[in-house]
Amino acid sequence: MDNNSITYSVKDLFFSYGRHEVIKNLSFDLHKGKITTLIGANGCGKSTLFQLMTKNLKPNGGEILLGGRRLADIRLKDLAREAAIVHQYNTAPDDLTVEKLISYGRTPYHTLGISSNAEEDEEKIKWAMEITHTAKHKDKPVAELSGGQKQRVWIAMALAQDTKILFLDEPTTYLDIRYQLQILKLIRKLNRELGLTIIMVLHDINQSFYYSDEIIAMKDGRIIAQGQPEQVITTELVKEVYDVALQIRSANGRPFILPV
Amino acid sequence: MIGTRKKILSFCVTAAGLFLLFLFAVNTGSLKVSPAELWRGLFIQYDPNVATIFDLRFPRIFIAMLGGAATAVSGVLLQAVMKNPLADPGIIGVSSGASFTAVLVTAFFPSLFFFTPLFAFLGGMLAFLLVYSLSYKGGLAPLRIILVGVAVNAMFTGLMSAFNSGTGSSYSGAASIVNANITMKTWDDFRTLFLYTVIGLIASWFVAGRCNLLALEDKTARSLGVNVTGSRIVISVIAVLLAGIATAVIGPISFLGLIVPHIARLLVGSNHRVLIPYTVLLGAFTLLLADTVGRTIAAPYEISASVIMSVIGGPFFILLLRRSKHGYGQ
Repeated sequence: MDNNSITYSVKDLFFSYGRHEVIKNLSFDLHKGKITTLIGANGCGKSTLFQLMTKNLKPNGGEILLGGRRLADIRLKDLAREAAIVHQYNTAPDDLTVEKLISYGRTPYHTLGISSNAEEDEEKIKWAMEITHTAKHKDKPVAELSGGQKQRVWIAMALAQDTKILFLDEPTTYLDIRYQLQILKLIRKLNRELGLTIIMVLHDINQSFYYSDEIIAMKDGRIIAQGQPEQVITTELVKEVYDVALQIRSANGRPFILPV
Repeated sequence: MIGTRKKILSFCVTAAGLFLLFLFAVNTGSLKVSPAELWRGLFIQYDPNVATIFDLRFPRIFIAMLGGAATAVSGVLLQAVMKNPLADPGIIGVSSGASFTAVLVTAFFPSLFFFTPLFAFLGGMLAFLLVYSLSYKGGLAPLRIILVGVAVNAMFTGLMSAFNSGTGSSYSGAASIVNANITMKTWDDFRTLFLYTVIGLIASWFVAGRCNLLALEDKTARSLGVNVTGSRIVISVIAVLLAGIATAVIGPISFLGLIVPHIARLLVGSNHRVLIPYTVLLGAFTLLLADTVGRTIAAPYEISASVIMSVIGGPFFILLLRRSKHGYGQ
């Protein structure tokens, strides 16, 4: 692939919490306009990698490039206009309304809390609410929404940042299957219709096959496989990543894992 | 959810209450004047009674209002920074740190009088840094902040009392800070307080948006491009400045920065752009009320506003702890 198709480029990354090495010599490129999913066992460093890529943590070694620039040289505010992230765990004050929370997504475009283009802010907020179907709740407090509705509100806030890259850290965890599918379909729509580059962590292997263009499998802070789901996912890989032997079946020409 | 109408009503009622309380406070004492006489005496024709009231009672009333506003807003800011609804400049020792340095300056360097608020600010900052760094252990647990704060507060209060007793309370200026006594304040005190408080209050309005963002998870705020640590430092400095100035002039007032923001949140919600202006009004009202009650309840003797606040604030604090839906133990 040529360099123009790459957004993030991670090179020889190291990170440790105290003495505990979490990311060990990790390198990969993230392709523009694709849905990439990180899979791996709990504690393998997926979330840490996200934190490093969004400047919440500083690497101990190696470097991360975004659009050819070193992440360390990009101001936090400028990064927030390039890449948005929906964290796994979120809290908001009890009386904060949906619309107000989503409007926080415009923060990277403000200086000293003052907006330079209020019209554009409003437009983006409205658009984010429409695409996530949260407009009907706009005057309700976020705290009163169901889990699936809340998750869509947090995604809407990230969308209001108007970025080209969206990180999602376990966007479907804690949701029942109906909401899981709603969120995954929304993510696909964002990618196919708006061309957003999406990188996410999912725990359901089948969902990650089905909704991703590319899979990155991690183990112990390293990448052990990267590529298209059909090519990457094998019984051996699943065994290596999760340490369980599972059968792979085929349905409608796609591989499926029997998670039992 | 609190509707816009209720918020506007809260503002209007509190402003009206403050105005009525002001008129009442002006007339509390041996001299009495009617509002009409007051108006005439102030703006139209010289009146000896009004002139006396103007020189003696007015500074005290305005100082109570400004000091109340500053202390209460300081509470709001500290609560935002520490993500802890129990943070209060009095309880966590910022006020006593400030008053200790104010006492030292008043006693030993009276020529630096005008700069007392700055020294008080430094003392408050010292106490704040002690509390913040000693209670930081991979995060700020609400209960740990309060416990460390109580200890820091006790230390500075002890140092102050020791100084006051050791000098036989002979430094009257220092003693009035120790006892948080608002009597005998002049227009000079008012001017000092006014200058720094206005700066602090304006600055706090500019960080209101940041306070809102800090209510989210730190990670989330950072992914919105907010420099979380930097914002915390700036907001803390403003909070300590406000508490420090108020303390330098009126002495440490406990619980005001706890009670007022708490009631304010119930009335106008947690959006700091509304909460901070409302806290200014309610803080001014509350301290003026405490001071006026202290002047009337046992007249001709006076009970200081800080004593009144402690008597009311103690039980209120316990009530908050008991009714809180989040456990503060960690």
